[in-house]
This record gives sequence, structure tokens and C-alpha cells, in this order.
Amino acid sequence: MIRVFLYLAWRSTYNRVARQARQLRNPRYLAALAFGLTYLWIVAVDQRPEHPPQMLVGARWLELVGAIGVIGALLWGWIFGVERRVLAFSPAEVTFLFSGPVTRRGLVQYKLLRNQVLILFNSLLWTLILARERFGASPWLRALSIWVLLTTISFHRLGASFVRTSLLEHGRIALRHRVVSLVLLGALVIGVAWSIKDAMPDLAAGWAGGLTTFLDALTEASERPVPHLLLAPFRAMVRPLAARTLGDWLRAAGPAVGLLVLHYVWVIRADAAFEEASAEAALQRARLSSRERASPRLAHRRLPALLRLAPVGWPAQAILWKNLLAVVRTRRARNVAGALTVAAIVAGLLSFQAQSSIAEVAGWLAATWAGLAIVIGPQWVRNDLRSDLLKLDLLRSYPLAGRAVVAAETAASTMVLTALQAGLLLVAYFAFLGNGHMDPPLGLRTIALLTALACLPGINYLGMLIQNGAAILLPAWVHLGSGRPGGVEALGQNMLIIVAYSAVLAVGLAFPGVLGLLVFYLLGDDIGWWAVIPGVAVLLTGLAIEAAVLLGWLGRVFEATDPAGADIPA
Amino acid sequence: MIEVEGLEKQYGDFPAVRGLSFTVQPGEVLGLVGPNGAGKTTTIRSIAGIIIPTRGSIRIGGHDLAAQPVAAKSLLAFIPDEPHLFEYLTAEEHLRFVGRLYQVADVEARIPGLLQELDLADKRAALPGELSRGMKQKLAIACGLLHSPAALLLDEPLTGLDPVGIRRMKATIVSRAEAGAAVILSSHLLHLVEEICTRVLVMNAGQTVAIGTVADIVASRPALSGRRLEDIFLALITPDGDPRA
Repeated sequence: MIRVFLYLAWRSTYNRVARQARQLRNPRYLAALAFGLTYLWIVAVDQRPEHPPQMLVGARWLELVGAIGVIGALLWGWIFGVERRVLAFSPAEVTFLFSGPVTRRGLVQYKLLRNQVLILFNSLLWTLILARERFGASPWLRALSIWVLLTTISFHRLGASFVRTSLLEHGRIALRHRVVSLVLLGALVIGVAWSIKDAMPDLAAGWAGGLTTFLDALTEASERPVPHLLLAPFRAMVRPLAARTLGDWLRAAGPAVGLLVLHYVWVIRADAAFEEASAEAALQRARLSSRERASPRLAHRRLPALLRLAPVGWPAQAILWKNLLAVVRTRRARNVAGALTVAAIVAGLLSFQAQSSIAEVAGWLAATWAGLAIVIGPQWVRNDLRSDLLKLDLLRSYPLAGRAVVAAETAASTMVLTALQAGLLLVAYFAFLGNGHMDPPLGLRTIALLTALACLPGINYLGMLIQNGAAILLPAWVHLGSGRPGGVEALGQNMLIIVAYSAVLAVGLAFPGVLGLLVFYLLGDDIGWWAVIPGVAVLLTGLAIEAAVLLGWLGRVFEATDPAGADIPA
Repeated sequence: MIEVEGLEKQYGDFPAVRGLSFTVQPGEVLGLVGPNGAGKTTTIRSIAGIIIPTRGSIRIGGHDLAAQPVAAKSLLAFIPDEPHLFEYLTAEEHLRFVGRLYQVADVEARIPGLLQELDLADKRAALPGELSRGMKQKLAIACGLLHSPAALLLDEPLTGLDPVGIRRMKATIVSRAEAGAAVILSSHLLHLVEEICTRVLVMNAGQTVAIGTVADIVASRPALSGRRLEDIFLALITPDGDPRA
């Protein structure tokens, strides 16, 4: 059976790459490839210094920080589940494989094999990205180390999904069969919690002294018996990556490969009926998850008055309305809104209490995430053309100009992202509300909040236009649909996309931003902080002009896009 | 109402449609028939404004589709064989969505009657994922009919419908044509074409093989006299004109 799986995986991958390569006959795709290769060259090769650089995280800390990162990634899978991503089956796979003479374990093996395509691609990317840092003894050994690490993480997450599914499907009975896994997980969680509590005073003191002092304190804390024991397997997974010579690598690779094999055995255990049932249940749940994406369970169907659609008005508003409904109706959106509301209230109350340091940490975190959301947010919020291009036929049949379609689609994701950032900024604002000693004072913080709330819609709109523009210009190369490749396995490609997007956005923001700042500084001497208002107005005007030009162009491209020639996956 | 002049569509070196010209007047139902790959769907999608023709012109209600796409499309409804619906909108909300797109001021008054006509009244709050294939098709049809289009384009509209749904759909098409709509119906179901179409356009390899009423087509080919539409169709599309081929 494995030969059939290999054939399917190989031919599917080959044909997909060949189809995408055929697009290179189009100058637009050729230009994008040239841009991408130049970008990779600059990132991975050209910037490589003659001598090993001073790394942000030195080699002595790499293993520890990497191990902690691996623990975080694995615990995330245990807590939130990753069945959808790891066990995502296409409709064709469900049709042919689920009804075919294939065991459930065979299906799992097939999925492991298919995941290898993503892992191999990302291993290659990471090898290039880390080339500058001179990790590993050689590029080949570095690539091999990354592949072992990513594959082990992928196996672990699949195993975790089986345990989670067993517990959900079989409850108590599953506890007996999963006792080893659960005891190990429990020991890890208790150990981590106890270690953090034990080391917290030293870590807090180290944090006050800067990054190096903090990492030293972290290293010292990790050498204590319990953390040392807990971290050992995770360090072993990362160690080959930090090895500097072939001998070091060979010594480090043994345990790492051993862990990989153990994980494989864990996921594919022979002659265990219960494991088979768990795999079956997990696959069914994954299949249901796929269906759920097509038929989502909504938080509820009644619409708030704000979201009622009048029968007449700007026709494209119907698209904006539809896309907003797609977000506000989901449980996730309601959970996030609820969590942010509670966080803002609690942080606000705590800021007046003696424990205001907790509120401050929450405030800084919220403010940081609000800022990061400018560049990462478009990866999370995709209720725009990146989802709707799959229904290009339908969009093209509507009596709307291309410019109107692009404008409405982009507005929807902009509104959602801006609302998320506004929520985070309000959490930050309330978290420092009771802090009377903080510099800047409350008045300036209020001005900063209002300025951010005024600027973010314009900045986000430009950012989302760039994202939607990429989808319109390069539909065969941009991931379309509500989901996207995620997890540690796809971290490399997602990181490259985010960095490239940030560079393009920075270019777009540069001119209006500089103009806005100039106005602010020129008028600041005369009217003080009131200069923020004309500064913001100039920034937003600049952004509006850029957006209008982009919209006009993308609208024309949208109207000229032939669904048959765009090579959009069905 | 629908005027197609010298329509051509080229995919690379492959000519999908070659020099197609015809008109459909208000009240007419034109049946588009032909073997797989004849160019029927390409033709109907070109008229719907989805595909950009390589050459030729299309006018809907006097509006040139290339020069005035919004005005032309506002008179059109395109109902594809595969219903494309939005997963987060209920059946009723789909109609409101389409109502806004086409500026249907009395959309709320039209919705109950339309849902009743298509047997969807008890599914008004259902999401597409909760509907059967046939129900989804009916909803897509309801969305197409909401703004009382002057030109109706149907690509295999009966796919997935049950016998009751098929009967209702046939009645709906006929009644819309009688109300003045120009209808183009692409289908492999020759008995359907024979039953409700006023004229037939037979296509093969992207070209017109015959156009007119069944009587006109038979009159121009006396050898086909007395044959059923299926035999006539096979005779027209086989190279030697032999229906047994």
C-alpha cells in the first residue's frame, strides 16, 4: 500500500509544482519569482558575513531557548488540538481512501507521508534562513537536523491528537489505554509549572537586568535537577542544530533520531486495536472538521442591528456585509471579543491595586500584539478576496465594477483586524489606567491611543490591499481559502511571507508616514500636541491616495482576470 | 435582448468557441446543446461576463458587455450547474445579499414568494451546509430569479433536483420567458430542451452546427425528417451525419 501512497504523494506534488511552474510564462509570475529569488538571496546568501556574527541568542543559549520553544509548540498541540491541520484530508482523499481497502493506520501513514512535502520544503527554507547564523556543521547536516526536528514535532502533534480524540470519544476507558501518555504529559506540565514558580524570583531579577542577564538566569534555572530532567529530551531534539563539528553532530544526532523513531512507534503502534479505534475516531473528527468548514456551527444566527443590510445603497456593501458576517458569527470571534472585554476590565481594576505589576505585564503584552498585528494580522484575518477568489465565477457575474469588489473585500478584513487591534490597545490602556507614576502620563497615553485608533484603519487597509493584490495578481501561487498552512512545520514559509509583506508595507507607509511626521513636528512648536490632528490627517490622506491608485489598478486586473486562465484551485 | 456577434474564445492554441452569432429575443428560450467540450459552458459564461471573449461582442438589453459591464450584468442572472453559495449566509440572507447587489428595493416582499415557489420556505434559516445538493441548487436558482432578470442564463439547471423540483423548475423557466425574459438554457437533457425551448442551437467543436426551431432544422435536412430530437442531435454532431455512429 505504501507504494500507492508514494505514487499519489509524488505525482500530486510533481503536478502541482509543474502547474505552478507553467505560470512562469506569464510575465507577472516571472517578475514575482525574480523578486522572491532576489529576496532569498539577500536574506540567505548575500548578507552572510565573513565571520560568524554576534547572534541575538548565542550558541550557548540556543539549545535551551530552542528546547523551550519546542515545549511551547508541543503543549499548544495538547491544549488546543491540531487535528484539523495535521489530519486534513481533501475531499478526493476522503472519497478514494476512506471508502477504499485501506486500514485506518494506513491512512495515518499516508498523512505522515504527505506532511513530509511541507516539512521538506520548510527544512530547505530554514536551512537557507539560518545560513547567515552559521548554525550546524555544514548546510547538509543543518538541513538534516531541521528535518529531524520538524518531523519529530509533527509526529508528536499527531500522537497528541490521537490521545485527545481518545479522551473525547471514549472518556474513562481511554484513560486506562492512555495512561502512559497522560502520566508523562501530567509530569511535564506539573514539572514546568513547579520549575517556573521556583525560578520566578531569579528570572524576574534577570529580566530587570536585560536580555543577557535574563538568559543567564534562565540557563542557571534550567540546570536545577527537575528542569534539567524535563528539558533533556527537548534539548536532545534541538542539539544537532547547535553542533559545530561533524563529531558533535554525530553524537547529538543519535538521541534526536532515537526520539524520532520513538515518536513514529508511538503514532503507528502495531497490534493495538484501541490505537486503531483512536486513529479511526481522529480521522473521522478531522473529516468532520473539514465538513464543518463548509458548514460551520455558528455562535448564533440572529444579527445585531448594526449588521442589518438595507436593500438599496452602495451595491458592493453586500460583499462587505457578507464577509463581516463570516467573522462575527463564528465562536472564535465571540470568544476573542469576550476575552478582550474581560481582560480590559480585569486589567483596569488591577491597575488600581497593589498587584498592578500583573496588569502592566498584560498591558505591555497587549500593546506589543496590537503592533505586531499590523504585520502578522493579515495572516490571521482572511475574510476577503483570499477566501472569495475560490468563487471567482460568482464574483465576476455580479453587476459590480472590479474596483468596487476589491474595495469591499479589502474593507471587510481591514475592519476585523482593526477591531482586534483596538481591543488589544484598550486592554493596554486600561492596564495602565491606575498607574499614576508612569511616563508618559495618562493624558499623553490617551492621545497615543486616539492617534493609533485613527491611523490603524488606514494602515491596515493599505496592508490588506497588498495582501489582496497578491491574491489577484498571483492567484496560482497565493494560498486561497479561509485556512492556510500553519504550525511549526510551515513556520519557515510563513515567516518569509510576513517579512516580504512587511517590506512592501514599509515602502507603502514611508511617504505618507514621513509627511505626517513632518507636519506634526513643524506645527508642534506652535500648537503642541494638537499637531497630532493635522499630522494624522496628512498621513491618512497620503494613505488614501495610495489606496485609491492601488484600487484602480487592482480593479482593472480583477476585471481582466479570466477565471479559466487564472489557474485558481477548485 | 441577448445579442452575440462573432464570439470567439481561445485557450492558448485551443479554440473553445469559434465565430458564434445568435440573438435571443424577450420571451424566447434558446436551448444550447452539444457534446462535452462543444463550447456550451464557455459560451454561457462569456455571456454572463465571467469569461473575457477573445473576439466578438455581446450585448444585453442594448448594453455592450465589454464597455458597460455593470449595466449589462444588472439585467442578467447566471445559474451554474454547480451551486456556489456562501457558507456563512442562511438561505434568506443569500437573497438579501443578492437583493442589495441588484438594488431590489422590495426584496423583503419578494423573499417569501420565491422561497415558496422553490419549495424552500422551511429552509429560510438554513446554512448551505445544512441543505442537500438539490436544495442548494434551488437556492442558487432563487438567487438568480430574485431581481426578475431580463436575461436568464441556465447551465444544466436541473442537476441534483428531484422530480418535483424538475417539474417546478421547468414551469418557472417557462413562466419567466412568458413574462418577457430572454432565456438561454444549456443542457444535455434533450427531452427538456425539446419540451421547453422555442429554438435550439446545436454546437460542436466550438461552432454552430444548426440553429432554429426543431422544425426549421429538420426542414433544412430532409433526411432527418420524422426522427426524434436525440437522433437529430446525434446526426448533427457525428462526422458523417450518421446517428448510429
